[in-house]
Amino acid sequence: MSKPELWVIAERRLDHIEPTTQQLITKAKGLAGDQFSVVAILLEATNDHLENELTAYGPDEIRVVRDDRFPTATDAEHADALQQLVTAYQPNSILFGATITGRSIAPRLQAKLQTGLTADCLDLRFDDDTLVATKPSYGDNIMCEIICPDHRPQMATVRPNTFVAAPATGDATVTTATVTFHPVDRLQVKAATPVVNTATTVGDASRVVALGRGAASSATIDSATKLAEKLGGRIGVSRPLTDQDRFTHDDQIGQSGNTIHPELIINFGISGAVQYLVGMQDSQTIVAVNADENAPIFDVADYGYVGDAQAFMTALLAQFN
Amino acid sequence: MKIVVCLKQVPETNDVTIDPVTHNLDRRGLAGVMNPFDKNAIELALNLKDSRDDVQVVLLTMGPDDYAESLREGMAMGADEGVLLSDRAFAGADTLATGYVLAQAVKKIGDADLILFGRQAVDADTGQVGPIVAEFLHQPQITYAANLRLSGANEVTAERLLEDTKQTLVAQLPAVVSVRSELNTPRYPTPRNIQLSFNKPLTTWHHDDLDLDDSRLGQAGSPTIVTKVYAPEPVKRALTPLTGTPNEAASQLITALKQRQLI
Ligand SMILES: Cc1cc2nc3c(=O)[nH]c(=O)nc-3n(C[C@H](O)[C@H](O)[C@H](O)COP(=O)(O)OP(=O)(O)OC[C@H]3O[C@@H](n4cnc5c(N)ncnc54)[C@H](O)[C@@H]3O)c2cc1C
Ligand SMILES: Nc1ncnc2c1ncn2[C@@H]1O[C@H](COP(=O)(O)O)[C@@H](O)[C@H]1O
Repeated sequence: MSKPELWVIAERRLDHIEPTTQQLITKAKGLAGDQFSVVAILLEATNDHLENELTAYGPDEIRVVRDDRFPTATDAEHADALQQLVTAYQPNSILFGATITGRSIAPRLQAKLQTGLTADCLDLRFDDDTLVATKPSYGDNIMCEIICPDHRPQMATVRPNTFVAAPATGDATVTTATVTFHPVDRLQVKAATPVVNTATTVGDASRVVALGRGAASSATIDSATKLAEKLGGRIGVSRPLTDQDRFTHDDQIGQSGNTIHPELIINFGISGAVQYLVGMQDSQTIVAVNADENAPIFDVADYGYVGDAQAFMTALLAQFN
Repeated sequence: MKIVVCLKQVPETNDVTIDPVTHNLDRRGLAGVMNPFDKNAIELALNLKDSRDDVQVVLLTMGPDDYAESLREGMAMGADEGVLLSDRAFAGADTLATGYVLAQAVKKIGDADLILFGRQAVDADTGQVGPIVAEFLHQPQITYAANLRLSGANEVTAERLLEDTKQTLVAQLPAVVSVRSELNTPRYPTPRNIQLSFNKPLTTWHHDDLDLDDSRLGQAGSPTIVTKVYAPEPVKRALTPLTGTPNEAASQLITALKQRQLI
């Protein structure tokens, strides 16, 4: 008998695969062992070949459904197609990225299937064939383990950048499946334009200069911009700085912003509230500069300087030159 | 037109602790407040109401009787009426069972053109309830709307910001919309509106007031179970202090970063 399937729903982002998909394939392979077969589900247009961006991560199978309407399909149309696949293949579990798209389609599919869905997970494991999903709540102050014992499939959305994608060997077979596309006439996607965002996002940067309320003057932000350039990185901010004109929610690190794990993050004037820490505490090297020696940010830092953010940044910049 | 806004009441602060004995959440003494993200949904409804004469805004919540406070607050902002869904049978509901009862209540309210949701509840942080209700009502959904306007007699146009794409969506009403918090700044209740709110209708519906399948309610109707709750422990690292003047400290850091091959 063939093994029960553990699905990763591939997400398209413009002409590419959204990186969370690859992260989830790597995680799913780790979870599957001999017990499950990892199947990536990809809905794409007839001439697309996004499966080529998945093979290197070694899922057991990439199941492709093609229809030219998928790239601009609405949430309900996606959920409808996925429901047909679930009925046909009866997977044990389904994983989505907790992106805006994933968080919109997954609950709609959940309602169709009348099963459980755990949102925005930070960890996953199997207890026998039951998926145990770790989910933060109360602004990441509390972690919950949630299971869905009596309903299948079990579903979870997983926070982007929680896991690290790793290329893997293995011969992923690419198969095709068909569904009937049921158009929903009452909702149309009229236009989809890329948001002008030429630089890499803080989520992609391998070096991050992070600024908090203690490093918020425009002179400090100017210095930080230079420092980020010298490091080949990006500026990220704690929540209060998103109120400034120069930053948006997309620059925010933390529970309600980006989860990042760059090689290096230098935190200036950030206290280290839990909601901030969960977004960056897995970074490889963490440096903190804060005027208060008792700031919690020092608990997660490898290097720390107690003192003025601007003064330290000026000194650091000078020595780079 | 009739707009239903679904709202939830949440603990006033996210600083909850775990009872060391029972391992349950210790919510003692935590006052309830309206989920802040739901105020953006109310504000959107009130903006539409301000722009036309025929808009009626109904607030809907499922929860214990004290959730009525949040309905009052929303009526003090300017909503016309509030409906509280309160019954022992609804307790312990996860998002699926919550969505079911809300969908049945929206049907009973009747003729809703728009059903609005906040982006997520700050205690549970799921954002699932809106799409679930949309599915149960067989309606189109626009999630995470960054703005929304009436673009025809029976039509709304909204923008949705995905991580790096902006979508423009056009929906024929009725439709379900969940809003981003960037959409607007919720208004404060004025003293006059607070006064007026006490004369606005607040209705409570219990189990028997709705057409419900009992197997889909409360704990029994909830596929998910929370098996463990705990406080996350930040992973502490061994801190190497950088000392002296900023110049001295900066030079120590540069040496360390070179050793780690980061620069
Ligand atoms: C549901 C929820 C979600 C949240 N999500 C996020 C999130 O995603 N991201 C996020 O960041 N926050 C989030 N928050 C807010 C979070 O709790 C904190 O309020 C926030 O992170 C604080 O930002 P901060 O460290 O910049 O500011 P503060 O806490 O005010 O800290 C400023 C620090 O700067 C130091 N300082 C002051 N002057 C100087 C100086 N001259 N030189 C050096 N140091 C100086 C101070 O000692 C202090 O430690 C969330 C909160 C909630 C309730
Ligand atoms: N018990 C409830 N009663 C009414 N509306 C709710 C309830 N729970 C959640 N909602 C709505 O659903 C949205 C998303 O909540 P959640 O899925 O719990 O994060 C909230 O912003 C509210 O608009």
